[in-house]
Amino acid sequence: MSAHHTFSRRSFLAGTGAAMTAVGLAACGNGSSNGNGTSTSRYSLLLPGDTPTDWTRIRDAVNEKLRTDLGFEIEPQFINWSNFANQSLLKFTAGEDFQTALSARWLNIAQLIEGGSLQPMDDLLASGDYGNLTAAVDESAFDANRWSDGNVYGVPAVNSAARIHCYVARGDLIDRYAGGEITSFDQLEQFWYDVHAGEGIVGYVKNNSVFDVLGAPTGTMFAEGWESPSMIPLYFSSDSLLFVPSRDAATSGVTDAVPFWEYQPYVDALRRARRYYEDGIINADRLNVDSATAGALFKSGGAATTWAITDGANTSAHLSQLEEAVPGASLVTLLPFADGRDARPNQTFQADNLVVVNAAAADAEAAMALLDWVSIQENHDLLQYGIEGTDWTPVGEDAYEPTSDYANFPGYALSWRIPLERRYSRMSESEQAWFEWSKDYNNFTQDPFAGFIPDLSAIETEHAQITAAIGEYGNPLWAGAVDVDEGLDNLKHAVEQAGLATVQEELNRQADAYLASQ
Amino acid sequence: MNTPGIRPAVAPHKRRSSRSQPAQKRDYGLVILAAPAVILLLVFAYGPMAGLIVAFQDFNIADGVFASPWAGLENFRFFFTSGDATRIMRNTLLLNVLFLSATLAVGVMLALMLNEIRGKVTKRFFQSVIFVPYFVSPIVVSIFLQAFLAGPGGRGGLINDAAGLFGIPSVTWYTEPGPWPWILTLVKVWQLGGYMSVIFLAAITAIPEEVYEAGEIDGASRAQMAWRITTPLLKPTAAILLVLGVGRIFYGDFATIYAIVGDNGTLFPTTDVIDTYVFRALRTRGDFGVTAAIGLVQSVVGFVLVVVATMVQRRYAKETSIL
Repeated sequence: MSAHHTFSRRSFLAGTGAAMTAVGLAACGNGSSNGNGTSTSRYSLLLPGDTPTDWTRIRDAVNEKLRTDLGFEIEPQFINWSNFANQSLLKFTAGEDFQTALSARWLNIAQLIEGGSLQPMDDLLASGDYGNLTAAVDESAFDANRWSDGNVYGVPAVNSAARIHCYVARGDLIDRYAGGEITSFDQLEQFWYDVHAGEGIVGYVKNNSVFDVLGAPTGTMFAEGWESPSMIPLYFSSDSLLFVPSRDAATSGVTDAVPFWEYQPYVDALRRARRYYEDGIINADRLNVDSATAGALFKSGGAATTWAITDGANTSAHLSQLEEAVPGASLVTLLPFADGRDARPNQTFQADNLVVVNAAAADAEAAMALLDWVSIQENHDLLQYGIEGTDWTPVGEDAYEPTSDYANFPGYALSWRIPLERRYSRMSESEQAWFEWSKDYNNFTQDPFAGFIPDLSAIETEHAQITAAIGEYGNPLWAGAVDVDEGLDNLKHAVEQAGLATVQEELNRQADAYLASQ
Repeated sequence: MNTPGIRPAVAPHKRRSSRSQPAQKRDYGLVILAAPAVILLLVFAYGPMAGLIVAFQDFNIADGVFASPWAGLENFRFFFTSGDATRIMRNTLLLNVLFLSATLAVGVMLALMLNEIRGKVTKRFFQSVIFVPYFVSPIVVSIFLQAFLAGPGGRGGLINDAAGLFGIPSVTWYTEPGPWPWILTLVKVWQLGGYMSVIFLAAITAIPEEVYEAGEIDGASRAQMAWRITTPLLKPTAAILLVLGVGRIFYGDFATIYAIVGDNGTLFPTTDVIDTYVFRALRTRGDFGVTAAIGLVQSVVGFVLVVVATMVQRRYAKETSIL
């Protein structure tokens, strides 16, 4: 049989037309059938990280309850951490239809607000329709995260008053090399060198970050921060240039912020990073490794410590995999403050994570209803830990024991609420102590610039070019991969060309105005 | 200019009259057949060109394309005053010239070698093996490369471990920009060598058997026939691939380079190309205007390069030019 007989031109054209029509119609759909033949709206959310194990099963259970309670379902898109900042920004700027996303100052909330991509929340919160949400998130937390125009643009996803950058270390190695206890930065450094010499592994592993070295107020290589955790640099965005304000700015009213290299302790931190790099104390692939790979090296027993934060998630994130790789291993959460738990680190109380509502969302009220829905203990637990009895069992009043591979939902991107959080049942004693400490606002000093969020609209081009220069010349410095003097010269030259003077002047002008308004 | 008394080969009125003749019935069929492709081209290739207007705007989502304020050449200024424009253009051109020349040369060599394999099964096997890298994701390639060059924690890697056996000191490859044009070229050859060889192999099969028979009669060895018969006859195919490659020479192969280099600033002096720069600019500014402006520069330069390459080819390789 010839081809002509089997597939005529007319058939081809008709078939192509039918296929295109079908695709077009399919693309227009925004609902899903709930099995009863009726349509239920299904809303997309942007969440960072990997899809949790058993996610489909839990999502179906969540959606079943959501359908009954609110009449819609959710379909989160999980985006790898290494791509989240770029992809979420592109999705926002392209006007894509999704309901909520994670954002923050360290991500791109400034650009999103400036571009009108976020839904202001004040009126919605004041409507009284979201009582569970406003009951679970303290008003002072909203106030600490109010934008410079007076609006709230995100729900602070927090489980403590503030989080301090710290370390999670191998307890078994501390017993072997540090006499069972580390209470100062000097001891920690000695521990790293001893472990490196004795075990042939790196002392500290992480992917690259400016805050590892130029801490705020503590950095894992910023020794002065552990002695006196009172320095929080100012910046237009956290991946741009950091400026150091004058020590007496709060009393004098004059910010006089200078680039970080004019603050000697920060230069010392850069030199320390370089020494660690050359001595094999930190991983040498910081410039090209992602956080998951760096974390995997620690979990497989290839490093003595890794980066941590006082959010109560260190033990659950590392212990079981570490135990599989290194039988008998244990974990310790380390904060080598010179003053121990009497330290009063400066804090802005600005949340690390904010759940924002997309201005282009199909239904902003549904997005708020979801945020309210996850503010009820029963719903929060279902999303966060899975099905009770199947995925977890309660331990005491405030802890949970996972009984399946779930319990890995990124609550920080949707459902973290201080009063609703349960503690991992195997949480180490040291982590538990520091986690409880971090929940108390009284354990922190409010920074003079706590509510200062600068507006970069006047210096957008300079800021973009400075950010590009930081990416090129700053990142190798934080990684310790280049000579400090040579690297700093290159960085200074690049940012001066990009408009350092203009940016510095604008930052000081806005910061002075902020101080005057207090 | 026509010389008086000499008639043109085809009378003008004759040509005009042929144009004005009614189209034959079968032409309608051809038009209908071509219509979907033409419509797709108009909608998806020419239609989006209207978006280039964004290159001259201070674009924001709230106002959209029609209401965003005009910015003149400000978006172009961002690129050309960044201080990086020269370096980025140099890298883009240099890397693409390296990629193009290396993949073409290796493609021809592999095709000649495959052509010499007599066993059909063996030939197919090797052909498949060298083609497989074409399907490997750049992300996977970047992981391979890390294992080869860095290893866990960035201190080691297969290459360094092997060098250590001979007492050669380790190199921290990911902080040394110098070798990266060559490393990336090797990656491209690994990825595309097999793909190119299949194209050349197809061209070789089209060479008439009589040509080789004549060579045999003249006493040529197999090597001489490969060098003096096959290689010259591959010139038209190579020329087409070259012109197509030159058309894309101002594009930086974003997928491969970004997957491997990422935001590693120490490697930018030799690896930062226009596409990776645009991506970073978009990411840091979230600004479609700058992206569109640089994309427009890219397209215009690419178009000029294609025209120049075609003209050069017509002038210096007239007999092999089909463009």
